[in-house]
Amino acid sequence: MENAQLISLSKQIALQRQMDVVANNMANINTSGFKAENILFEEYVMPVARDQDFPSLDQPLSYVQDWATMHDLSGGAMVQTGNDLDVGLNGDGFFAVQTPAGERWTRSGAFQLSATGTLVDLNGNPVLGEGGPIQFGAEETGILIAADGSVSSSAGPKGRLRLVEFANAQELTREGNNLFAGGTPVAATNTKAMQGFIERSNVSGVAEMAEMIRVTRAYESAANLAQKQDELRRSAIQRLGDANA
Amino acid sequence: MKALYIASTGMGAQERNVEVISNNIANMRTTGYKRQRAEFEDLLYQQITRAGSQTSDQGTMIPAGLEIGSGVRTVSTPRVMSQGAVNITERELDVAIRGEGFFMVQLPDGRTAYTRDGSFERSPEGEIVTSTGYPIDPGITIPGTATSVAISPDGMVSAYLDNESTPTQMGQLQLARFVNKSGLESMGDNLFVETAASGPAQVSVPNNDGTGDLMQGYLEMANVNSVTEIADLIAAQRAYEMNARVISGADQMMQATSQLR
Repeated sequence: MENAQLISLSKQIALQRQMDVVANNMANINTSGFKAENILFEEYVMPVARDQDFPSLDQPLSYVQDWATMHDLSGGAMVQTGNDLDVGLNGDGFFAVQTPAGERWTRSGAFQLSATGTLVDLNGNPVLGEGGPIQFGAEETGILIAADGSVSSSAGPKGRLRLVEFANAQELTREGNNLFAGGTPVAATNTKAMQGFIERSNVSGVAEMAEMIRVTRAYESAANLAQKQDELRRSAIQRLGDANA
Repeated sequence: MKALYIASTGMGAQERNVEVISNNIANMRTTGYKRQRAEFEDLLYQQITRAGSQTSDQGTMIPAGLEIGSGVRTVSTPRVMSQGAVNITERELDVAIRGEGFFMVQLPDGRTAYTRDGSFERSPEGEIVTSTGYPIDPGITIPGTATSVAISPDGMVSAYLDNESTPTQMGQLQLARFVNKSGLESMGDNLFVETAASGPAQVSVPNNDGTGDLMQGYLEMANVNSVTEIADLIAAQRAYEMNARVISGADQMMQATSQLR
């Protein structure tokens, strides 16, 4: 009897999660290199009695279950900043950074130099070149980053940024701080570095807004369904329980 | 409802973004001002299902995890240290730096500050001071009898005294460079001070060791581009509105829940 309510409850919980995902995308609409997330749902079919001898067979019930979040890895808008240490990536690749917990991947190319001249990300994690972190001397000027990621300055070549690609980028997990973890990195072949550009977040405000409206409406209708079901039950109890009936 | 808190971090971030942009616009005409930019980062993710979790004894696994983020934070407001436009002023004590480097200024408390603002003046004693009245470092004094002052691209300050036909050298301006210019701390008054992040100052004469050369009679304007700032402002405002809408959307959902009985 409560099946209808439980089904709408499963829908409500899934929609709440979806709202969280929409809110997180929207909150990060100005975060450099942020990739939007999409949540996927699947039907969960309730197992029913297997015996075929009942006069009427059990109806299968389907619940909804949130199953995975997918990274929307499409490119964000490239904005020209004119800053030497801003690097945008054109293609599916990621930068590699060295964090205390190991190598991590990021699309946010807003780099800085540390006090000792190492190329670092906004949290001070060294950005990895093919042979380790990229180091600049105190008197070097004119930092140039070529399309293939090779870095040079007034003191000559400085190595090459380690750009990585993933066969299945959906395996990556998010760590916060614009970092992705995991996956099996291979050297990038189809990714070009663009110096002086920054990749904005790929969140589309309009699409997220529409999604949000859809989610709130769907949630309301689920809540409504639960309400109707409850009313139905209440009136059934009232009528059937009435001694004068 | 997590969405409420997530959206509120978004509103906070955009508010800060607008603050940074409005400070840039306010300083559009400030000599030697370097624009700032707000940089954001996503917050921690709640891992509900980890990618790669096993789904059967046959070794099948979940190809993508289920993770829900918790919003955004402002990580830093680095300064963009690009060269601002250089305008001619024809004042003999206006000096612009073409290239990298900062003038050094002696603060009253004994510390050294750094500035790109080269609109210098002379104190009653003839010392070269900034427009706030702090002496530059190394101190250069121009006698009251000097009729005109010349500053060479490599910082040599010379003055014509008592209508002599040959100039007398008064000293040489020096410039400081930093490994990480964005790590300097701003203290207002167009001044920066050194921090652990900027690295120590490397002092050198202009045109040496990567420092720029000097241009007498010019001033460096702010490197703020009004069009970009306004576009950023509009984007920030819209993002703020969208986050506010998410809050009201989440509220609507909560309302639907609370009306159940």
